[in-house]
Amino acid sequence: MKDNKNPLSPHIQIYRWHISSLLSITHRISGILNFLGLILIFFWLLMLSFEESNYEMFLLIINNFIGQFILIGFTWSMTFHLLSGIRHLVWDMGYGFEIKTANRSGIIVILSSLILTTFFWLFGKGYI
Amino acid sequence: MKATRKWILQRLSSLIIAPLIVWFYVSLISLSTKNYSDAVVFFKNPLFAILTIILIFIGFFHARIGLNEIFEDYIHNKKIKDVANILALVSSIIIPVITLFLLIYKI
Repeated sequence: MKDNKNPLSPHIQIYRWHISSLLSITHRISGILNFLGLILIFFWLLMLSFEESNYEMFLLIINNFIGQFILIGFTWSMTFHLLSGIRHLVWDMGYGFEIKTANRSGIIVILSSLILTTFFWLFGKGYI
Repeated sequence: MKATRKWILQRLSSLIIAPLIVWFYVSLISLSTKNYSDAVVFFKNPLFAILTIILIFIGFFHARIGLNEIFEDYIHNKKIKDVANILALVSSIIIPVITLFLLIYKI
């Protein structure tokens, strides 16, 4: 029997990921995360409007390991969505559609989102 | 809302949120290392309070349009989709309004 060289992709379990599709779905997921981030901002202000002891307790929670992990996660989803959004705006203006360019801009978005997240945290925490 | 209008508003709102959200997240990271009164002083600053309100209102508006789009693609049952869209609409109005109230009267 001859080797069947027919492509099996797309199939949900053996789907071959491309930068384009990875960024497309991550843009949506990060958008949903940012919606949750906005709700967390609301919760932050809500805690601040209660008594001081409540806010101090809230600070303890967000400053422990899990709290920091969540906040860093939300910061990343924000920076990713922002950079990926800029990529979309450039497309809307009619530029960057060539496969090579689109792949390159995708990689730039991923790397820059990680760098920016680190930068925002170092800056916010007062290290730089 | 018409699709074209949505498309334009989604992009216009993103331009307003982009600088505000960066400023706000960095500010919150900074406030997380400070105490209660520092945070109160921050939000009592009229400029910061106004920017926060703009961010929350337009941020939830932008989120609502995005959620509509996602629901449109992934929820096939029309009734569930309608309910999800209404929840997105209601939360995108109520949360900013409560935030406005908190910033004016409570903080």
